[in-house]
Amino acid sequence: MSGALMDLGWEVRRAGERLVGAPIGRVDETTWEVFSAHLTAVVREAAAAGAPLVIDLSALEYMSSRGLRALTIARREAGEATPITLAAPNERMREIFAISRYDKLFKIVDDVDADA
Amino acid sequence: MRVRFWGTRGSLPVAPTAEVIQAKIAQALVAAGGRSFADAAEADAFARQSLDFATYGAYGGATSCVEIEGAEGTFLICDMGSGLREFGIDSFRRIAGGHPPAYHFFLSHLHWDHIMGFPFFGPAFNPAATIVIHSGHADAETALRRQQEEISFPVPFDWLRAKFEFVVHKPGETFDVGGVAVTLCAQHHSHDSYGYRFEKGGRAAIYSTDSEHKIDNMESEAAFEAFFKDADLVICDTMYSLGDTVSLKQDWGHSSNVVAVDLCHAAHARRLALFHHEPTYTDADIQRMHAETVRYEELVRADRPALEVICAYDGLEVAV
Repeated sequence: MSGALMDLGWEVRRAGERLVGAPIGRVDETTWEVFSAHLTAVVREAAAAGAPLVIDLSALEYMSSRGLRALTIARREAGEATPITLAAPNERMREIFAISRYDKLFKIVDDVDADA
Repeated sequence: MRVRFWGTRGSLPVAPTAEVIQAKIAQALVAAGGRSFADAAEADAFARQSLDFATYGAYGGATSCVEIEGAEGTFLICDMGSGLREFGIDSFRRIAGGHPPAYHFFLSHLHWDHIMGFPFFGPAFNPAATIVIHSGHADAETALRRQQEEISFPVPFDWLRAKFEFVVHKPGETFDVGGVAVTLCAQHHSHDSYGYRFEKGGRAAIYSTDSEHKIDNMESEAAFEAFFKDADLVICDTMYSLGDTVSLKQDWGHSSNVVAVDLCHAAHARRLALFHHEPTYTDADIQRMHAETVRYEELVRADRPALEVICAYDGLEVAV
């Protein structure tokens, strides 16, 4: 599955037993709904497959609080059965995770294969 | 208009201990490095230039009370937190200078930290004073009377001598007070809360505190973007981090610095004032939160005009 709606691209791929969702672009007030919809879909796909979910952030420019809150909604949807890992954020996203304290809420790793 | 912050702390008044003051003085002495100063003014100039606000200043510890100056013939005051006592004293000074003894209050809500200053509001005893209390709550008068019942306070409400009027408003309806147009916006908080938009002469100031922006009600974001639209100053509840508001402190009724920035960006507001500071935060904590918010604004600004982020403190005055 791939798509580019409202300046936000999205790709899903398999990486071994894990499912990887990758946003491309930026998540702000114009794109968060598309981002949230993609997240919900990939969470359900991962849950159905019994696969851990990795969100590959390497092609994400940044996300504002709307994207961060969409991540929280996705994790609530996923529950404990489908762990979500955030991978490969750029320096800007690392700062945003730190300022928002989302680095305390999510597992964040340096690259997609870090915990393969 | 001119905005004057009389109380900026959330939930509970706080005051620095001797240990906190001593640490600030010790840091200042270290920064001085053995310099000598001819007088206090010279020392003050050095300190202002060399020390950060958390060392040579303080954010203060009075709870919510913000004055909007600019109406004709009346004071406008948002909330009655413990900062109201100082405002009341200062208003006596201005009344002595010719200002009419007329007060219009705008209550965000009726929780204790937002009304606790009223029993200590001296002008309420002035028989020449008129006090109009605007609220979105029909039970505002009940809340003020109840906190002065004998079990809580020795002076009952009925002993007050000012002329009182309570006015309940519906969100979205604009009314005029002394030439300032005022509009309420409903907010998510226990027992509800209301934000206020003040407009005069093409300028707008927003007072929006004790307002939680729920992640499962993102549709309401559009309402706040409209309420904040093109504002020159947005005073916003930034009590917690976003991480806290979606986890441990979810449903505590408060917002975060990063959501405030994003709402202001989307609304094309020009300046954001961080407000309703967490009472457990030290001055250094609040200063760090301010710096982080300035940085976050830079990180997500993209091609928008810069949003100026200031941090409210007791005593701050801002021209709007």
